[in-house]
Amino acid sequence: MARLVLKFEGAVLKEVPLGNRPVSLGRAPDNDIQIDNLAVSTYHARVYAEAGRLVVEDLSSLNGTFVNGLRVERAMLNDGDAIEIGKHHIVVDQEHDAAVPLDSRRKISAPKINETMVLDTKERRAMFEQAAALGERSQISPTRVRVPTLVVLGGRTDRKEYQLIDTLTVIGKSEMASVKLRGWFAPNVAAQIHKQADGYYLGLGDRVPRINGDPIVGPTRLKDGDEISVGRVRLTFLYRN
Amino acid sequence: MHIESGARSDVGRVRKNNEDNFRAEPSLELFVLSDGMGGQASGEVASALAVETVVDHCRVALESDGAEYYGEPTPGLSDRTNRLASAIRVANSKIFESGLADPARKGMGATIVTCWITDRRLSLAHVGDSRAYLLRSGSFEQLTADHSLVADLVRSGILTPQQAEVSEQQSILTRALGTQPSVEVDADEQMLLAGDVVLLCSDGLSRTVTNPEIASTLETHPDPQKAADRLIELANENGGEDNVTAIVVRMTPEPTGIFAGLRRWWRGKS
Repeated sequence: MARLVLKFEGAVLKEVPLGNRPVSLGRAPDNDIQIDNLAVSTYHARVYAEAGRLVVEDLSSLNGTFVNGLRVERAMLNDGDAIEIGKHHIVVDQEHDAAVPLDSRRKISAPKINETMVLDTKERRAMFEQAAALGERSQISPTRVRVPTLVVLGGRTDRKEYQLIDTLTVIGKSEMASVKLRGWFAPNVAAQIHKQADGYYLGLGDRVPRINGDPIVGPTRLKDGDEISVGRVRLTFLYRN
Repeated sequence: MHIESGARSDVGRVRKNNEDNFRAEPSLELFVLSDGMGGQASGEVASALAVETVVDHCRVALESDGAEYYGEPTPGLSDRTNRLASAIRVANSKIFESGLADPARKGMGATIVTCWITDRRLSLAHVGDSRAYLLRSGSFEQLTADHSLVADLVRSGILTPQQAEVSEQQSILTRALGTQPSVEVDADEQMLLAGDVVLLCSDGLSRTVTNPEIASTLETHPDPQKAADRLIELANENGGEDNVTAIVVRMTPEPTGIFAGLRRWWRGKS
């Protein structure tokens, strides 16, 4: 199960597991996470799961809710993200999910394989809503448009800046590359950036790219301000408003 | 980069008919797999229609540049990937119309998963719970998201993946070909690297053989046909309750060196 960890100046004050119910944060004592500080509104923010993702929502607080340093009205959360309320940090910890069973044993209780059937949309919605009745669900409306952008810091490329509009962005000398590298020894596919539902992921190419100096092992989600380097090319990944 | 592939389909140990169908077209670098459903052998009809239609549509598109897309292309995806999604929408219409025309085929449907490789770019498109996986330097990742009720429930955090694996509702699909006049197709793309292995399979494999078993089979069998054969055997050893199909596609680096270079040059000339 995922959990929220309340921290103040590095010290862990409280841990709250995340279930189907929203978790409330604020100064009033009936909040799930109470933060007794005058900079915190009575009911400041809440965190809940929506369509399989964690979302934090600011409840029109006076001093605002921040995620990784950016003020948000609503934002999707990822493992390791820090919600900041006043001087308190609430860190999202999904390590506890351990979702993928990695044992190589054969599957116990071989599932009954029934005749496959397809739900029509109405039936499906009804069954889904029944099952989802525990959790609260609503729509996220994006409050602003942020354009993911690569800015070239160094190296030989055909442009100085690239907006990431495609599902796949290839960095390299290949014809398919949208970030075109120049130079004799530039690889065809130095790295690739893949758009997914929850953000942009840097993936391996013929080279192992680095994020902020660390080589990646597999697809790694890019955060605002990350520096990508591959060969002699250095790029910054930014969300432009 | 060079492509090697192998594929096999088997009825399993319980069922009488094999409702799975596949087409591996190495010359087009196109691979298609479909799992049919429906009474009176119409599942086989649906899945056969699905794979034929997709291959034909893609072949025609390759031969004539301006072939029209069926349905709206998705912005941000390459032409090839959009073409693949278009082919699947055509297949949906064909199966749907065939079901309307013949009462014995009423309600038939099929899943589909396809991959098309263009100069290292992998285009993927699917509908239903047939899957694509990628094995890359030891990590084994599912590239497709199942269109099934249990997968929806896992995505919304209501079921754990472990609960989903033993759920009796595993066979309930939320999308399939041929059951509605139009269908939403999921499409995606990425660049392949030397050594990558792409696996397409029906649920007869993914439900009976665990991911680590599949991954280690792909790792220990460099020959894609042997890998596909072994995967089918494993599914049958684990009960063989359903039809099972696997297509294995391996990306191998072009040999380097002066003779390989000359061979390539010669091949390019002829």
